[in-house]
Amino acid sequence: MVELEEACFSYDGRPVLRDLSVTLEPGSFHFLTGPSGAGKTTFLKLLYLEHLPDSGSFTLFGDNPVEATRREITLLRRRIGVVFQDFRLLEHMTVAENIALPLRVAGRDPQGYANDVAELVRWVGLGQHMDALPRQLSAGEKQRTAIARAVINSPDLILADEPTGNVDPDMGGRILRLLIELNGLGKTVVVATHDLSLIRAARGTVGARILRLAGGTITQGAGEL
Amino acid sequence: MRRILRLIFGVTGPPIVPTTGWSAPLTLLSALCMSFLAVLTIVAGLAATRLAAEWRADLTGVATVRIAGIEASDPATVEKVQEILRTTPGIAAVRPLTDEEQHALLEPWFGTEAPLADLPVPRLVDVRLDGAGPDAAALQRRLDLEVPGTVYDDHGAWRGPLADAAAGLRRLALGAMLAVLLAAAAMVALAARATLAGNLEVIRTVRLVGGEDRFIAGAFIRRITSRAFAGGAIGAALGLLMIGGLPDLAATGILDVPLLPGRFGTAIMGGLVALGATVVALLTAQVSIRLALRTIL
Ligand SMILES: Nc1ncnc2c1ncn2[C@@H]1O[C@H](COP(=O)(O)OP(=O)(O)O)[C@@H](O)[C@H]1O
Ligand SMILES: [Mg+2]
Repeated sequence: MVELEEACFSYDGRPVLRDLSVTLEPGSFHFLTGPSGAGKTTFLKLLYLEHLPDSGSFTLFGDNPVEATRREITLLRRRIGVVFQDFRLLEHMTVAENIALPLRVAGRDPQGYANDVAELVRWVGLGQHMDALPRQLSAGEKQRTAIARAVINSPDLILADEPTGNVDPDMGGRILRLLIELNGLGKTVVVATHDLSLIRAARGTVGARILRLAGGTITQGAGEL
Repeated sequence: MRRILRLIFGVTGPPIVPTTGWSAPLTLLSALCMSFLAVLTIVAGLAATRLAAEWRADLTGVATVRIAGIEASDPATVEKVQEILRTTPGIAAVRPLTDEEQHALLEPWFGTEAPLADLPVPRLVDVRLDGAGPDAAALQRRLDLEVPGTVYDDHGAWRGPLADAAAGLRRLALGAMLAVLLAAAAMVALAARATLAGNLEVIRTVRLVGGEDRFIAGAFIRRITSRAFAGGAIGAALGLLMIGGLPDLAATGILDVPLLPGRFGTAIMGGLVALGATVVALLTAQVSIRLALRTIL
């Protein structure tokens, strides 16, 4: 599904990731941990192709994104659902419109997906807020909107960047269960978090691997939960 | 408006980019001003061309032969000149001016009582040309040989400068038109870039959730183009209405050609200018937005 080998990435000459090698098997669940500033977000950005590695080899869904055209990159992204750390909701669109965006940009027929969107909105518990604008939502509601948008397109790979960072432990638990549920449906999931209690909470419910990011690289042989 | 756009472009759902910001009214306003100027330029250019054509039409197809000197009053001389002209290819008809006509021509200078017969005034012969007319140089040589002092005048001295003036006016109108087009394109490109820059985060997000350049560009281009069309139509209509509202210049004798080409022609002109504004906006926005999007992964 995802294979990085000795990948390096730097921001304007300042290295953040170096000699990073990791393989994500289809249907696996990963916690990506490490202190703030370790490069968790940057690692996820490589996976959803906001950045490309400066060197090393990279295989995503069997393709090499470094040599992909813009259109190929778009098609690869459509197979990835991302819960951005800062949500990246479009402020001028309602909750339902934000959630439907990946389907709309993929050119799908609105008549065909209206019911799916409504169903997913209810599933993330936002049935009452379908027509609300993001600025009318609490952080937790935004987070759930972002999660719904990340999964509406039924992506093969789900990347969640600190998905419980803005919510209380109770809501954090609900979001985690939601991601575990999606993993149960066969999706590959990566959850970046520095919140160790979240990882403890997952113990026993999912066969997750922990990827520890430190010194710009992922410690291999990271243990099972 | 949104319903119509949806029908035409298949737009479903809210606009991909928020409809706020300065560039929207600015695009409309600049399209309006540019179309207004375009209408003025076109109308001025067409009027100048028509006027020149009219002047020329008055002078083409005719020439004058002046018979000067002692023999001018001799009917035999006039007869001889007529004979030469009749046998020259390229001349359709020949007619000496009558005494009354000559009188009328000279009246402004000599008054009504001028004893024309006693004055050495040249006799004038009106010549109707056939097609391009005769070989003027050859004819003049023959006249010089057989009736010295006789001059064949095809009004070339008038026509040359008129043609030059008309061509110059046309070039000027074309230049002004080109300047208007370039300025319009530059404004649309700037407005497109400004909208793009103001919506960078939205664009990044749409790209990250799987939106293609074509899809994103389409959202911008649709809006820029529809604004350019609206502004273009208003500007063209305004320009044409204002020209139509001018006092009748033909009646004043200043300009004896109509400024606007009739009701139907005027409507077509307005439509073409609005369409032109739309096409310029479409092409410019397409190019500048596609290029700009490539800098965003
Ligand atoms: N756009 C950027 N430009 C320059 N430096 C950046 C940028 N984004 C992150 N960094 C730096 O890269 C390092 C890793 O950041 P990040 O991936 O956000 O870490 P984490 O998500 O683990 O907190 C940090 O030192 C951060 O300052
Ligand atoms: Mg981060």
